[in-house]
Amino acid sequence: MNIIVCVKRVPETAEADLVIDKTGRDVIKSGLVFDLNEWDSYAIEEAIRLKEKKEGHVTVISMGGEEANESLRKCLAMGADDAVRLTDPAFEGADGYATAKVLAESIGKLPFDLILTGTQAEDDGYGQVGGALAELLGIPHATVVNQIEVEGKKLKVHRELEGGLEEILEIDLPALLTIQTGINEPRYVSIMGIRKVAKKEIKVLGAKDLTLVANETGLSGSDTRIEKISFPPTTGAVKMIEGNPEEVALNVLNILKNKGGLA
Amino acid sequence: MKEILVLAEHRQGQWRDITFEMLSKARQLAESFGSEVHAVVLGKGVANSTDALRPMAHRVLLVEDERLEAFNSETYQTVLAQLITERKPLLTLIGHSTLGMDLAPNLAVQLKMPLATDCIGIDGKDGSFVLTRQIYGGKINSTVLFNKPGPYLVTLRAGTFPVLQRDSLQGDIIPLASPLTDGNLPKRFLAYVEAALGGVDITQADILVSVGRGIKGPENLPLVKEFAEAIGGTLSCSRPVVDKKWLPKGCQVGTSGKTVKPKIYLAVGISGAFQHIAGMKGAGTVIAINKDPKAPIFGVAHYGIVGDLFKIIPALKEKAKGLKQR
Amino acid sequence: MMERQESIAQKFDLYGCYQCGKCTGGCPVTTRSRLNIRRLVLQGVLGKDLERLNERLELWDCTTCKTCTLRCPRDINPMNLIIGLRSTLVEQGQIPRTLIDALESVYKHGNPWGKPRNKRTDWVKDLPDSLKVKDFSQGEQAEFLLFVGCTASFDPRIQEIAKALTYNLQRAGIDFGILGNEEQCCGNEIRRMGEVGLFEELMQTNIEKFETYGIKQILTSCPHGFNVLKNEYPQETFTVVHGTQLLARCLEEGKLSFEKEIKKVVTYHDPCFLGKQNGIYDEPRALLRAIPGLTLKELDRSRERSLCCEGGGGRMWVEASSDSGPRLAEIRVRDAIELGAEMLITACPLCVLTLEDAVKTSGHEEHIRVMDVMELVAMALGRSTTGSAF
Repeated sequence: MNIIVCVKRVPETAEADLVIDKTGRDVIKSGLVFDLNEWDSYAIEEAIRLKEKKEGHVTVISMGGEEANESLRKCLAMGADDAVRLTDPAFEGADGYATAKVLAESIGKLPFDLILTGTQAEDDGYGQVGGALAELLGIPHATVVNQIEVEGKKLKVHRELEGGLEEILEIDLPALLTIQTGINEPRYVSIMGIRKVAKKEIKVLGAKDLTLVANETGLSGSDTRIEKISFPPTTGAVKMIEGNPEEVALNVLNILKNKGGLA
Repeated sequence: MKEILVLAEHRQGQWRDITFEMLSKARQLAESFGSEVHAVVLGKGVANSTDALRPMAHRVLLVEDERLEAFNSETYQTVLAQLITERKPLLTLIGHSTLGMDLAPNLAVQLKMPLATDCIGIDGKDGSFVLTRQIYGGKINSTVLFNKPGPYLVTLRAGTFPVLQRDSLQGDIIPLASPLTDGNLPKRFLAYVEAALGGVDITQADILVSVGRGIKGPENLPLVKEFAEAIGGTLSCSRPVVDKKWLPKGCQVGTSGKTVKPKIYLAVGISGAFQHIAGMKGAGTVIAINKDPKAPIFGVAHYGIVGDLFKIIPALKEKAKGLKQR
Repeated sequence: MMERQESIAQKFDLYGCYQCGKCTGGCPVTTRSRLNIRRLVLQGVLGKDLERLNERLELWDCTTCKTCTLRCPRDINPMNLIIGLRSTLVEQGQIPRTLIDALESVYKHGNPWGKPRNKRTDWVKDLPDSLKVKDFSQGEQAEFLLFVGCTASFDPRIQEIAKALTYNLQRAGIDFGILGNEEQCCGNEIRRMGEVGLFEELMQTNIEKFETYGIKQILTSCPHGFNVLKNEYPQETFTVVHGTQLLARCLEEGKLSFEKEIKKVVTYHDPCFLGKQNGIYDEPRALLRAIPGLTLKELDRSRERSLCCEGGGGRMWVEASSDSGPRLAEIRVRDAIELGAEMLITACPLCVLTLEDAVKTSGHEEHIRVMDVMELVAMALGRSTTGSAF
């Protein structure tokens, strides 16, 4: 089975103090720690498990600068066979749609049975690239997948819905799935493991290798653009909820409704 | 002015709340530029339930078809593509739900519509829209603009837009013909299934009700458990509770237990030791109940209650009755 | 010529084992784990029954206290076998999730607690102006490098001990500095978890830092850091002392005098990495005995026989594989209470955390308090604090 996995290298921001840069449209990246997007680590692990179960070939692909090599090598160390990096100044500033277009162009040349992406990226959280990519390639797709069974030329997949519910679908190959966290346990990649793949070639493609014209990629190929960014109104210190138990209860339930997706 | 379409979302015979949140916001937008809100309902046997939508929409466009019984992006995409192509609404709103995530990106590419996903804010401006989205795990808000003209497609985050009480619009129900034909779909819905109850994976829960030593004894767990169940939450705990064998190891949150990132983390009687906090600091909203105002958990909580959990939990349980799970 | 892969028996030098069982007899976790080190050595010798290692979660129960190795009459190092098997699992990637998180955190952030590097010195900001701490990374110089350690840098409870230590050092007139935000994990636990590659990188980077800043003398109050710096880092360019050794020396030389009386009955828990593994038993006791008003009682299982608290060998990041038996730390707390101690004193951050945890889970918060030697010394020196540690 030929599997292609699309991955992204993203900054870890949960514990970091973010500073808005001079453009006012992004944060200062220096000083941040980067890693493979969490959803993508589940996707690549799933691809490798599928390969280990039956014969197969896993290609990992990422749109990014040279630093994306770090995440691609992690995937190679986990067991991917080939890595491709899509790098070009023309790709910069891309939104979900522009990213999907570049991926579609590069993947279009490769043989594949299955494409896996993460459900979304930790940084921008569009949740868009997978679906858009499937549509551009003209293949069926399913998102938020947390279980995959291969049945010959089709797959039986589970999608994770809201409130503890799942749905089971059947989907014909070739197809694209966006993978949800928790589908498996991504394996650890040791330092020695990374060293072993340090010399492995990563194929690099630029705009000239694709048939897209300049205004179809990057910021000019995007349907949306960020005008500015800001910090949300500070929640800052903990908001204390006062009152007798009944008042407190009503207050808490309101919060649960607004933030927890309750009915 | 062209209308705003809102895709009404339903599952297993129930309207999902995002539907009303979107309709409410759409009405606000429509009024600001003299347009209309048209709810779009796709399904089988849903005609009778559309009454719930009429107060909030100028029109309810209803497409009934057997093939639309359960959500399948293949069928929904076909119907919506035709609807949007014919009507060219200025804006189509879909929930950023598992349905919306499966549908919107593909619909946008097919119709070459600009798409902005998971928006927490939307305002009309000069025939286009200004969106607000969260990035970097919610630590930053971004203001997003469209680069080209509409029709536009936007998915809205659930639980963000309030449902405002307004006078009824008394929208008419307009049945439309279904464009679907028989034929093999490359993706087929088989069934719904509930996640297994036994051995629930706390790392996948949206709502965690987490207990600590403050619970004092295993005999007090059923109280908390019933409350958790009433709100569709899962029980988890800090290490001492597992040490005492009041709950199994799989429930433990912390550096030597599990790391969780639920939408809501309700810490009940947990002091907030460093190793525990490390396991839940990624939670969306943390609500802490502890009788000690100096408990470290209040340092990471968004909302805090200094009080007796044995009085508050029963009150919560009482008020939670009748709350539906999604 | 065909290359013969080294057998496990050869690699870990297990052939001398005559299955006397002294290792298992001394292993503290045997009572609550399927781990049987004697049997594991036999399996290693025979090359049998070592499949599906990833399912044998008991391999992660080992605290690397080294009792087995210290007791072995044939000079075999059974602990190394466990670490070696862990290495195999690490290379395969099949290790518990919490360990993956800790190891990845060390690689990315230089500490296993998931905290960003630039917050490593936040604890210093809490110090009063009178307690200035020099920082080599900011161009300052000092005689000693105080290697703070990851736990003291980030865990709020242990930060209190770091603060007490800096007070003690200043009072003793020791000229010291820290590496600031350039300090990163010593690698002791990393090596014991089997991540050899990561340990080598840490060691390499740390040594380069020591050389860059011309560091010749290192002091630390974490026995784990002390152990690895002393025994596994190359010993050509620097010497290492534990905080208690240095301060005991200062006490002898009259550089420290205790002003305040502490009228408490205390007992001392020998940390495995300080005591049985590195032979430092007397210095912490010398400090305690010198404190006026303090009564020091000895636990039955003291010194070489000290009962491991289960904090080492990666155990802070992985749960015991089985539920059976009480936590060893709880036994320790119970023993201390039965001895009549009001305070259980130790000299290791991981011991402090596990013992304090045990005090809470066994419901003895009103009966006994866990503290570090450094905290008592600071108190006896007359340090005034408004902190919660007291």
